[in-house]
Amino acid sequence: MGMPMTTRTSAVLVLGCLAALTATGLAQRSATPAAVAVTPATATARIVTAAQALLATLDEAGRAKVQFPFAGPQKTRWSNLPGPMFQREGLRLGDLTPTQRTAVTALLSTALSPSGYRKVAEIMGGDEALRNAGATAGPPGTGGRGRGGRPGGPGGGGPRFGEDEYFLAFVGTPSTTAPWMLQFGGHHLAINLTLGGSQASMTPSLPATQPASYTVEGRTIRPLGQENDKAFALINALDTGQRAQAILNYRVADLVLGPGQDGRTIQPEGIRASALSPPQQTMLLEVVREWSGIVTDAFAEPRMTEIRSNLPQTYLAWSGPTTNGSAAYFRIQGPTLVIEYAPQGGVDHIHTIYRDPTNDYGAKFTR
Amino acid sequence: MTIVGGVSTSAHRRDEYLQAARIAVEPDAVHIELDLTPGIEMAAAVIADIDSNRDGSLSIEERRAYSNQVLSALQVEVDGKPLQVELADSGFPETEAMRRGEGTIRLQLATTVPGQSTGTHQVLFRNHHHRDSSVYLANALVPTSDRVAVTGQRRVGDQSELTIDYVMRAPAETSLPIWLLSGIAAGAIGMLGLRRGNSTGRGGDSCAVPGS
Repeated sequence: MGMPMTTRTSAVLVLGCLAALTATGLAQRSATPAAVAVTPATATARIVTAAQALLATLDEAGRAKVQFPFAGPQKTRWSNLPGPMFQREGLRLGDLTPTQRTAVTALLSTALSPSGYRKVAEIMGGDEALRNAGATAGPPGTGGRGRGGRPGGPGGGGPRFGEDEYFLAFVGTPSTTAPWMLQFGGHHLAINLTLGGSQASMTPSLPATQPASYTVEGRTIRPLGQENDKAFALINALDTGQRAQAILNYRVADLVLGPGQDGRTIQPEGIRASALSPPQQTMLLEVVREWSGIVTDAFAEPRMTEIRSNLPQTYLAWSGPTTNGSAAYFRIQGPTLVIEYAPQGGVDHIHTIYRDPTNDYGAKFTR
Repeated sequence: MTIVGGVSTSAHRRDEYLQAARIAVEPDAVHIELDLTPGIEMAAAVIADIDSNRDGSLSIEERRAYSNQVLSALQVEVDGKPLQVELADSGFPETEAMRRGEGTIRLQLATTVPGQSTGTHQVLFRNHHHRDSSVYLANALVPTSDRVAVTGQRRVGDQSELTIDYVMRAPAETSLPIWLLSGIAAGAIGMLGLRRGNSTGRGGDSCAVPGS
C-alpha cells in the first residue's frame, strides 16, 4: 500500500484543501457558461475516470480493500461514530501514500461541488481539531483517549479521531453505465453517492461536525455554519402565525432518521412550504441547497428541480430557540426529501442527515 | 501552523439513555419499534439491569426479562382503552458495544386493535422506562395502509408521551377512484335492470346470466 502519511499536519491539509478549492472555484467561475454546463453523463464519466486513476495507484491488496460487491452489505454500512466504535471498511486515508491520497482528493473534488468538497474537508478538519484537543469518548478507566493511531496500538481501543481516520470504498465497479457507489466517511461524515449512468443519488448522507467552530491560522472555520445561519434567517423571516405552525412544542434531542433508519418515513410536521411567501420559499430552498449542493452541480441541479417541484408538499419543523447562536433542531421533509439538523446538547456538536425516501442508495435506478 | 478547537468533552451521548419510538398505525394493529441506546456512562447500569446473574453474558431469559421490564413501563391506549402490548421480536447488541456507547437494543412491539370503526381515533404511547435519565424520541410513521391517515401528533415536552390522531377509512373509500366507482355503480344498476327484465318468471335466480 505504501508509506503511511504520519507526518502530515492537519493544518497543511485543511489549508491545502481550501487553497485547491479556491483555485477550483475561481476556475469554474471564470469558465464560459458552456464549459460549466456539464451533463450528468459527462459528470459520471469524469468521476469514473478519477476513480480508475485512483485504482491505478493501488497494488492488488489496495484494490481488494477498496472494492466491494454492489449487492453486498457494504452499501448500508456507514455511521456518525468514530472508529473503532464503528469499524469502517475500505481504504484508510492514513494508510495511503501521498500519490494515492492526491488521487483520493482528485476523486472527491470531481464527485463533489467546490462548496461540497470544502464542507467535507472542513468536517475532517474539525475531527483533526478534536484529535488535537485530546477529546475522550471512552468510559472512565478504559484508557480511551482519542489520540488517533491504529487499533491495538498504544491507548487501547478508544475512539480514533483525525483526518487519517476516513475511509473510501467503491461498492460495485466504477462504471459509466452500470450502478455503483462511491462511499467516503469517518467520524461525523458519511457520503454515499450512487451513480447509474446519467443518474445519481447522494442519499443517505450524513454531514456532521464537532467542533462546530475552530480556527486555522486565525481563520474561523464553521463546517456547517451556512446551514445554521440560513436556517435561523429563515425561521426569523416567518411571521408570528407561521412560526406558530413551524415551531414544535417539544424537544428533539437527536436525529430521528439517522444511521440505521433506512426505509422509514415519518409523518411530516410543521409548516407547509405552500404557506410561505415566495421569498421565504427561496430561503427554504437555499437551506436545502446546503445538502443537495454537496454533490457536483450536474447532479445537484436536477435534484433541486425535483425538490422545488415538490415544494407545496414540503414541511419545515423547528424545535428550540430562534436566536442564532442557540441550539435548535430543524427538519425539512417533502415527498423526496428529509433533512434533519440536530445539535447534540449544545451548539458545538451537530449531527445532520440528508435522505430521499424514494431514492436512497439510488433505489429508483438500481432495481 | 496550528488548529485550535474549543473541544473539551466527548463526541457522543454519555449520561443519557436515548429511547426512540416509531409507531405505525394499521387498520387492525399498532406496531412499535423501540430503539434503546444507553450512553457510555449509562451502559454499566443497563447491562447490570439485564445481566441479572452477573455472569457477563445476556441469556435469552435475561433478554426476555429486560424486554418485559421495558414493556411494563409502556402504556398504549386506543381511544382511551389500554391495550396489551406484546413483544414481537428483539435484538440485543454485544455488551462491549453498549459499553462503547454504540449498542442499541431493538424491540419490535405490537398490539392488535380489532374492529376499528371508520372515523377519527387516537392512539396514546407513553414511555416511562428509565424516566430519570432518558432522552425520548417518538414519531408516527406514515401508515402503509391507505385506510389510515394520520391527522396530528401531540407530545409532552420531552416526548415521553405521544398521541397520534388518525382517521380510519372504509376499505372501499380509498381502494378505487370516484370515477371508477361511479362507473361500476352505473354498470351494476344497468346489469340489475337487465337481469330483472330477463329473469321474469324464472324464480328470481340471481345467478342467472341473460341468455343462459
